[in-house]
Amino acid sequence: MGEDTDTRKINHSFLRDHSYVTEADIISTVEFNHTGELLATGDKGGRVVIFQREPESKNAPHSQGEYDVYSTFQSHEPEFDYLKSLEIEEKINKIKWLPQQNAAHSLLSTNDKTIKLWKITERDKRPEGYNLKDEEGKLKDLSTVTSLQVPVLKPMDLMVEVSPRRIFANGHTYHINSISVNSDCETYMSADDLRINLWHLAITDRSFNIVDIKPANMEDLTEVITASEFHPHHCNLFVYSSSKGSLRLCDMRAAALCDKHSKLFEEPEDPSNRSFFSEIISSVSDVKFSHSGRYMLTRDYLTVKVWDLNMEARPIETYQVHDYLRSKLCSLYESDCIFDKFECAWNGSDSVIMTGAYNNFFRMFDRNTKRDVTLEASRESSKPRAVLKPRRVCVGGKRRRDDISVDSLDFTKKILHTAWHPAENIIAIAATNNLYIFQDKVNSDMH
Amino acid sequence: MEFKLEAHRIVSISLGKIYNSRVQRGGIKLHKNLLVSLVLRSARQEDTDTDEEMETGNVANLISIFGSSFSGLLRKSPAGGREEEEAEESGPEAAEPGQICCDKPVLRDMSPWSTAIVAF
Repeated sequence: MGEDTDTRKINHSFLRDHSYVTEADIISTVEFNHTGELLATGDKGGRVVIFQREPESKNAPHSQGEYDVYSTFQSHEPEFDYLKSLEIEEKINKIKWLPQQNAAHSLLSTNDKTIKLWKITERDKRPEGYNLKDEEGKLKDLSTVTSLQVPVLKPMDLMVEVSPRRIFANGHTYHINSISVNSDCETYMSADDLRINLWHLAITDRSFNIVDIKPANMEDLTEVITASEFHPHHCNLFVYSSSKGSLRLCDMRAAALCDKHSKLFEEPEDPSNRSFFSEIISSVSDVKFSHSGRYMLTRDYLTVKVWDLNMEARPIETYQVHDYLRSKLCSLYESDCIFDKFECAWNGSDSVIMTGAYNNFFRMFDRNTKRDVTLEASRESSKPRAVLKPRRVCVGGKRRRDDISVDSLDFTKKILHTAWHPAENIIAIAATNNLYIFQDKVNSDMH
Repeated sequence: MEFKLEAHRIVSISLGKIYNSRVQRGGIKLHKNLLVSLVLRSARQEDTDTDEEMETGNVANLISIFGSSFSGLLRKSPAGGREEEEAEESGPEAAEPGQICCDKPVLRDMSPWSTAIVAF
């Protein structure tokens, strides 16, 4: 036991050395549940870790509930497609929570090919005092049983049990990029590069194809589906984004196959910004409906945009995330960074939007005040209870003391996945293999 | 001239990415390959004025990047001798000289996306 402890100690300090990161530990998705009580993360190794918020302590009313590990399980394993001689990665692409309908929690997790429904239950009591079995479960000698007793439930240490309830396999030829649970709580959709399927949560052996953009001749392929989401209130509406930068809103009541969109949201390209890489940087990497259902948020390589469902011609707001990278697109193409898919998030009241960037920076934009802030998720700047200091990237001209120059940005430290608590100002930031959870101080200002 | 060198360099980088995607874990990523092929097309369009230079250079690039894996697309031709010499000089990546199977004019007309698919 002593030896094991020593090994664990060695491993721990090894991992705290920032230059070494096990690829399997890289976080690939982060998602709060509908109440914000639970936070799920998925990683490249196919594992899911669920954190639970501790109830606020009455003794220390100023300390808000913190998140502790609640459960860890292996969701997906690497697989091999023998027909195509392809390895299927176990990396968790997306996690979506189902609305809670009873004491158990449920979530969907997906890798490139298979979606799984997991049920998470708690056990904090166990029956004791069986008549026929002893404490260890062995059958008793019946001659020793002289009276009958009613087994009673006695408290035990909390045990969290996770079990796979459904496995939705063989629905996708291409790589799944998103899943979204419908507001009807009965169906959900999964999208790959060329198709979107509609599933019933209780039926695993079939799904309906609702979008198919695969051309008859693959040489005619010009765009792929990059993300999709159901409308938060209207169970017949969903949106999907494309690699060309457009959004399509589809109505499932209109037809069984929603290849014809109800609305097409597209902004004409600015010809002055044209380069070899224009198509890449306009590809939408994430789309999210606002909580109100009135707006959509999209992220492409350099900007986040807010779209009004009632206006297809252009976004109503555009925010520059890191425009200083525009002159560096060639080297970002060479290093593959230009293909990074950043996610975006709304806060609970749809007044602030957030997205990640490089150098472990993440950005928040206040839609009302038009102020924005750049913050950093790193161990050095994140002592518990410390207030995050706003950061600045200088692009030439006056340089303040703590500014970072564009050339010193670390492009290996990228924040692709972020999540915002549905009601409170609590955010979860995934920085490679580390998860940061930040809570807002009541009177903090945006600079 | 500098712009054309840049376009040329982008073509080489793009071809390398398409090749590397074959050996990446998890299979070929359709989205990324589509984007790379669009960049390849844009970069090639910049070079339409200097066809001759580009094609010789392009084929040498293809051979040096793909090496023997490209043999499916190439066959021996009188012009092939010249390309083989270039391949041998171009670097350690050229495992063996390629063989050109289609005439140079056909190679020039093939769209980048088709070329990538054939190379797969």
